[in-house]
Amino acid sequence: MIKIFKRIFNQFKEYIVLLVLSIISLTILSLNEKPEVKQIKIFALGNFSVVNDLVNSIVVVFKEDNALEELRQENARLMLEVNKLRKKSYENDELRAMLGYKDTSRYPLIPVKVISKLVTKIQGYYIINKGVNEEVKKGMPVLNHLGLVGLVSDAAENYSVLKTLFNTDLSIAVTIQRTNIDGILSFDGKELVIKNIPTTYDVKVGDLIETSNFSSIFPPSIPVGVIEKKGSNALGLLHNLTVKPFADVAAVNNLFVVKILPSREINKLEMNLLK
Amino acid sequence: MTINLLKPFLFFIPLIIVQLVIVPLISIFSAVPNLILILIVYFTLLNGQLYGTILGFVFGLFSDLFSGGLIGAYMFSFTLSAFIAGYFFNENKIEKNTKTYFFLFILLVAAVINSFINSTVSNSNNEITFSFLFFEGALLPGIYTALFGLPLVVFETRKGF
Repeated sequence: MIKIFKRIFNQFKEYIVLLVLSIISLTILSLNEKPEVKQIKIFALGNFSVVNDLVNSIVVVFKEDNALEELRQENARLMLEVNKLRKKSYENDELRAMLGYKDTSRYPLIPVKVISKLVTKIQGYYIINKGVNEEVKKGMPVLNHLGLVGLVSDAAENYSVLKTLFNTDLSIAVTIQRTNIDGILSFDGKELVIKNIPTTYDVKVGDLIETSNFSSIFPPSIPVGVIEKKGSNALGLLHNLTVKPFADVAAVNNLFVVKILPSREINKLEMNLLK
Repeated sequence: MTINLLKPFLFFIPLIIVQLVIVPLISIFSAVPNLILILIVYFTLLNGQLYGTILGFVFGLFSDLFSGGLIGAYMFSFTLSAFIAGYFFNENKIEKNTKTYFFLFILLVAAVINSFINSTVSNSNNEITFSFLFFEGALLPGIYTALFGLPLVVFETRKGF
């Protein structure tokens, strides 16, 4: 019996090994959100990123300037402030106060640097040089002086993983600043798109897009981008809006993590509502 | 023999750093060459299909862990593309397969398969079409990777590895 198995194995060993390794890979792939797998990922990230950080610091050593970082931080704060003021021109101040609008610019910003990038057509994951030790936590939004870049998806002690806007796994509740129309922004592999906005809604090319009050992940009023193109579906009833992000996500290097976490209370209420 | 089998691991660490830190700077339409795959295909053609499949799996695991991406995506795509590259392995044609421009063809096939599988398994948007995944998600990075194999062929034709 054993001899038969041995003979079969020797004859088909390449296929058997391929099958076993493929099953292992696909099983791990399906367990990505499990805490055990996350722990391994965070452990590897924390250790290997030290090397990446070192190499990255050599690559950018000639560009570095401390004053530049302070200015960038100030710029990011001002960007949020400007956006808030722009929004105010569209809305009634009193209503805003009654709704308990949160001033995004008051959130503390943690300056971070991108030390490595995983770039494919489908996934956009960057590793940044700060982690739990600097109070960067999973779920915190990441932006630069122009606008939203992504979200912290994992955090190790000294490094974190940033899921960028150009990741098919990230969908964001956004609003059109001028008309307060809400939608879901996602990446379709080519561009950022807000799908299924009724054609009767007042939407213009050039309208600014920002994070929505309804978002349970991002704080409201973080600038995301501008509507670049309007396309309608076959029946002409719904628009698909193409959004050009303010931040040049592919080229970003210096970023800020906004020190805010999604509200568990809101999430819990929403879950109850769904039940 | 053992040293030869462990050789790719010596190249892996510097290559993964270059892949994650420097290669993104030369991306074209979000397509980047995959240096790790070049290494896997090269050593698969030197040592055989079984060796390549296992090497692809191990390098895939490390690539997933170090890149911060989905664990399992590169593991699966590298394993499968190394297995397919392994079909070109022939003990009598190692020279031809690794030191001529035929290597670039094998690399192109493996890179297209790798990028296609990687894009497919890591995609969570069900509206992305097959043609997009094939042409933009696979063919473009595949060609780019094959182009990056060119210096290796030129180097090999002049000198031993």
